[in-house]
Amino acid sequence: MKKALTLALGILTSVGGFFDVGNIATCTQAGARFRFQLIWSMVLATILAIFLIEMSGRFAAVTKKALPDTIREHFGFTFWLVPFIVLTLIHILVLAAEIGGICFALHLVTGLPLQAFALPVAVLVWLFLWRATFSTIENSTSALGLITLCFVVATIWHHPPVHDVLRGALPSLPQDHASNYWFIAVSIIGAVIAPFMFYFYSSGAVEDEWDPSYIPVNRAVSVIGMGFGSIISIAAIIVAGIVLAPRGIQVDDYHQAALMLTSAFPYWGYVLFAVSMGIACLGAACEVALSMSYTFAQTFGWNWGENLNPAEDARFSLVYTASLLLGAMFTLVGIDPLKLTLITMALSAAALPFVAIPMLLLMNDRHLLRDAANGFISNLAAAVIVVITIVLAIVSIPLAFIGGS
Amino acid sequence: MHERVEVMRDLLDKQLVDADDTKMGRVDGIVLEIDGDKQPRIDHLELGFIVLARRLGPRVEKWFEAIRKRWSVRKSARQIVPWSKVLDVTAHEIKIDVKAMDTPAFDWERWMRDRVIDKIPGSGDDD
Amino acid sequence: MASVHVELINGRRVRDANGKVVGRIGEIIARRRGHDYFVEEYHLGPAAFLEKMGVSTARMIGWRRGGDPLRVPWQQMDLADPDHPKLCCTLDELKKMQ
Repeated sequence: MKKALTLALGILTSVGGFFDVGNIATCTQAGARFRFQLIWSMVLATILAIFLIEMSGRFAAVTKKALPDTIREHFGFTFWLVPFIVLTLIHILVLAAEIGGICFALHLVTGLPLQAFALPVAVLVWLFLWRATFSTIENSTSALGLITLCFVVATIWHHPPVHDVLRGALPSLPQDHASNYWFIAVSIIGAVIAPFMFYFYSSGAVEDEWDPSYIPVNRAVSVIGMGFGSIISIAAIIVAGIVLAPRGIQVDDYHQAALMLTSAFPYWGYVLFAVSMGIACLGAACEVALSMSYTFAQTFGWNWGENLNPAEDARFSLVYTASLLLGAMFTLVGIDPLKLTLITMALSAAALPFVAIPMLLLMNDRHLLRDAANGFISNLAAAVIVVITIVLAIVSIPLAFIGGS
Repeated sequence: MHERVEVMRDLLDKQLVDADDTKMGRVDGIVLEIDGDKQPRIDHLELGFIVLARRLGPRVEKWFEAIRKRWSVRKSARQIVPWSKVLDVTAHEIKIDVKAMDTPAFDWERWMRDRVIDKIPGSGDDD
Repeated sequence: MASVHVELINGRRVRDANGKVVGRIGEIIARRRGHDYFVEEYHLGPAAFLEKMGVSTARMIGWRRGGDPLRVPWQQMDLADPDHPKLCCTLDELKKMQ
């Protein structure tokens, strides 16, 4: 039964880590500007994510340790320092973007200005993390996250031309606006393969007390969890392609994205979009904040865990508290949430080698993993991932300048 | 404890736990005592941000020391664990004969507990 | 009584009695006597980092480890100046001790 419930961890990681503000921003832009042409980018990102999540889970199940924990211990502090600093900065930016997403959802529903919600949202997330145990957070955000299925419902309602959709699943070259095309393609991958996902997932597996018997379940969770998030994201691309593209709506603003569900759901369209976005971003904000706490606590060897009494792991709690406050500042001072999201996704893509390379080195260590170490297929995927992440790292920032808008 | 130990791999950056298995930091530094021409002996372990800072270079250490003096609640930045306090060295951690709550490593936990947490509702119990 | 910080000599270049660079300190091997551990030898390798990568990973990317690390018995290492570790012998003499 417990193993069946671990599906919840997979779905949470998917809803929170996969379909979050980054995906909403990149997928709606992709659909609005290029119709179904960029679906291949999402498919590629999903395949890579499945391999990486599977490795994170397998690692935690066998070593009973999370990734950041082992990276410092295994490679030493000096090696870990630069990745640690880079990933911390990215964490803060992503958290700021997610908080911006929740604020926007609230703004859409109430009409009140975004900035008004910045601090209340930070407090809300903080309260959730302070009071709840890991399983409560897991289960509630997964259950609520199912609302995002409305995108899938909308897709079915629109009866998209299947042939065109399938053609989009194969890579193609853009007819025009090439730099913007590639920028969005790269941002989709950066949005999907977010560093915090792997640290959160492996730490969560330790919180849930996984052992080697969870390896098969972990494989199922990786595929189903990431697949679930992927289907919703592809649905978002399709709906944006059908509703927004013909009208020439470019999605320069989240308000434009919010229009996309109004054809399928004439009365509830805005509300559904807002609720989906709000809940997805809430799940993500929890994940990112916790991922920061996990990373700090494990790097410095502090006591850590959502299930601990806050007085026992004060420093762990301090990290997510401080990061939530810092994240809220961005929205509070009026930084445009969509622009923040897109820049963050590009930077996140650039930082991927820092996450992927140490992880892949560890996955081959037979002292640590014994028979569960990477086999040929996983290593092949790993090699491809490293190459792609390095390419992404090189092109993402230049593309942000040339192709971003 | 093993007969033979590889100091960098098995001891440095290793997780430390107290007698109750509470995590209390990592081995940030290890000090050898060299008495004249005698064989060097592992004397003690060191914990603390200042110890980490020094690994990055003497300038980083000075900069860090200046910050610490302004902001810290700790009585001392560096915690010393004599080797005699080491109970066991396993593949995953080093167990030492102290109580985590009594150590400088938990200064923040104590500070949080006394100044902040006890004043916030809902912190005393666990779900 | 001198104190030497292991984390600060990690990766430091070691020169022999003639001033020739011999390698970097990659590992320190210690043996137990009673409750205490005493340093038995120092291992010098091309880079401390490679040792951490582990043999299996290195092999995966096609890196042939250039043989075993150079072993320096504790008596031959002079750590009076920890920033500049020195051998008490020459490289040739050390090689004979392997």
